[in-house]
Amino acid sequence: MGHLRTLGSLLVLCLGLSACANQGEVKPIAPGERPALDTDEAGLWMQVERAEQQLRTSGKVVTDPELNAYVTGIVCKLEPEYCQDIRVYVVNAAGFNASMAPNGAMHVWTGLLLRVENEAQLANVLSHELAHYRLRHSVQRWRDLRDKTDGLVFFQLATAMVGAAPLGTLAALATVDSIYGFSRDQEREADDLGFDRLAAAGYDPREAPRIWEFLIAEKEASDAPKRNFFASTHPQSEDRQKDLEKKVEELGELSNSLELGHERFQRITKRFRAEWLEQEIKVADFGRGLVMVDRLLEQDPGASDLLFAKGEMLRRRDGEGDLDSAIEVYERAIGTGDYPAELHRSFALVKWSQGKKPEAANAFEQYLLMRPDADDRLIIRDYISQLK
Amino acid sequence: MTTSGIRAADGGRASFVSSAGRVIAALLLAVFVSGCAAQTGLVSTIDPPNPGSSPKVLVMTPDIEIAVLTAGGLLEPNAEWTEQAKDQFKSSLAEVLGEKSVTLVAYQEIETVGPESLAEGQVLKLHETVGAAIRYHKGLPALNLPTKEDKFDWTLGESIKPLRERYDADYIIFIHLRDSFSSAGRVAANVVFALLGAGVHGGQQTGYVSLVNMKTGHIVWFNGLFSQSGDLRTKEGSLLAIKTLLGPAPL
Repeated sequence: MGHLRTLGSLLVLCLGLSACANQGEVKPIAPGERPALDTDEAGLWMQVERAEQQLRTSGKVVTDPELNAYVTGIVCKLEPEYCQDIRVYVVNAAGFNASMAPNGAMHVWTGLLLRVENEAQLANVLSHELAHYRLRHSVQRWRDLRDKTDGLVFFQLATAMVGAAPLGTLAALATVDSIYGFSRDQEREADDLGFDRLAAAGYDPREAPRIWEFLIAEKEASDAPKRNFFASTHPQSEDRQKDLEKKVEELGELSNSLELGHERFQRITKRFRAEWLEQEIKVADFGRGLVMVDRLLEQDPGASDLLFAKGEMLRRRDGEGDLDSAIEVYERAIGTGDYPAELHRSFALVKWSQGKKPEAANAFEQYLLMRPDADDRLIIRDYISQLK
Repeated sequence: MTTSGIRAADGGRASFVSSAGRVIAALLLAVFVSGCAAQTGLVSTIDPPNPGSSPKVLVMTPDIEIAVLTAGGLLEPNAEWTEQAKDQFKSSLAEVLGEKSVTLVAYQEIETVGPESLAEGQVLKLHETVGAAIRYHKGLPALNLPTKEDKFDWTLGESIKPLRERYDADYIIFIHLRDSFSSAGRVAANVVFALLGAGVHGGQQTGYVSLVNMKTGHIVWFNGLFSQSGDLRTKEGSLLAIKTLLGPAPL
C-alpha cells in the first residue's frame, strides 16, 4: 500500500509539475490584441485561421446580409470593445450549438436560431461564447491538455521502470477525467461572465436559464442513447440552469421593461424557419424533434411550416398511431391555405401506405397541380398510374 | 517552450499515440524511402505530361505547417517556425525550378470574399483531398483501389476553370508540406523508452506535390516525401526537401 501511495503522489506530482510548468496567470485578451508570433497561442491561431478559411469556402455558411448584420449587431451590443475582433459565421447545421475559436471566429448554428424564442435568449448564448474568447479559454485548454498528457507519459515511464505498468493505465483514466474537469470549469466561468455581460447590455437576464428548460426537455425526449462523454466536457444542463437561476435571484427586483427583442428576432429569422426545420427532420431524432416542434407550435399555433415539419417527423418515425397523427397535422396545415406543395406528396405517401389508393392518387395530383415542373414529376405520374 | 531539432530514431511501435496520419506516414516510409533512389513520382496514364519547351507554370500558395511534437504525442502548431519555413520555401522553389526551363507565374490570392475567392478556395481544398487520397491509395499496393490498380487518372476536373480564366499558364503546381520536431520532453521520453526497449518516434517531415494540366485539370504527375530528418526552417533543409519533391518533375 505504501508503494501505491508513493506512486499516487508521483502522479499528482507529474500532473502538477507539468501543469505548472507553462501556465502562468493567463490575462484576459485585450481588445485588438493578437498573440506574439513565438507563442503557442500564435500556433493555435494559425491553425484556426486555416479552419476559418476552409469554412468560408464550404457552402455551409449562411450569407444572408440581414441575418449576418443582425447577429453581429448583438455581438457588438454585448461587447462593444471587442466588436472589431469577432467574425460571426452563421452555419447551416441542425442542433443547438455555437462555438468560439481563439482567433475570434464565432460559429452560430442555425439550429440554435431555430430554437431560441427571442433576442435575449440568443444574446445569452453569444455572450457565453464571447466570454470564452475574452478569457482565452482555447489556449488554456490546449495547455492543460498538453501538459497533462506530458505528465502522464512521465508517470507511465516511472511506473514501467518500477514494474507497475498497469498503474499507468489507471493514471491515463484519471488524466482524462482531469482534462474534462478543466473543460467543465471553463463552461461555468463562461456562463458567469456571459450572464454579467448580458445583464449589462440591458437584456432581460431571466431569459438565460430559460434556454436550459427546453434543452433538458429535448435531451430527455431524444431517441439517441445518453452520451456520457458529452455530458462530462460540459456541466450537466440541470446544474447550469440552477446556477443561472441563482444569479437571476441575486440581482433582486428586476424591471419588467428589460430588453427581450422578441418581435425583432421573429421578424428577421422567420423566413428561414422552413429551411432550418428541414435540417432538423434530416437528423431523424424524432423524439427530440417533436418536442422542439411542439414547443415552437405553442408560441406560434397553427403555423403551417411547423405543422408540416411535425407531420414529416411523424410520417418518418412511423410508430404506433404516427401515420394517423401525421394526416391530422397535414390537414390542419392545408386548412391554413398557405403551405408547401410537398405537403400533398407526403399526404399521398401516407394514404398509400394505409391502403387508401384513391385519396393517395388525388393528393399526388394536387401536388403536380401546385408544382407542375417538379423534379420528381415523372415518378409521381408513374405512382398515379399505379394507383388507378 | 524549449525545443530541440533532434529527431528520435523510429523503433517501430508508437506506444501511446497512433493516429491515421502516423499510419499513413509509416506506409509512406515503406514506399517513398525504401524506393528512395528510384523515386521519380507517379505519372498520369490518361494525360501524361507533355510540357514542350519553356512551359508557363502557376505555383499555388504552398500549404505549409510546422509543429512541435509534445512528450504526450500531440502536435502543437508553431506559427513562428511556419513563417520561417514559408520564407525558405520561396527561395528553394526559385532555385529548384530555376534549373528547369520554366516560366514561373505567381499566384495572387483574391483578397475580397466573393464568388471568385470561394471558387479558388474550393480548388485548394479539392487538391488537398485528392492529394491525400493519392498519397494513401498509391502508398502501398495493398491500399490500391480496385478501379485504379493499373492506372493513374486522378483529376481536379473543371474545378480549375477559375484559375484557367485568371492566369495564362500551362501547368499548376500544388504543394503540401508538414514538418514536426520533438519537444525537449519528447526527446527525454524517447531516451527512457529506448532504455525500456520500446520505441516511439520523433518529429517527421511529410509532403506531396501535384502537377496539374491547366487545359484538362488532370493531375499529370504526383510525388510524395517522407523523412525522419531534415528541417524546412533552414536553407539547406528546405532546399533538400524541395529538390526531393520537385526535382524529378517532368518540366
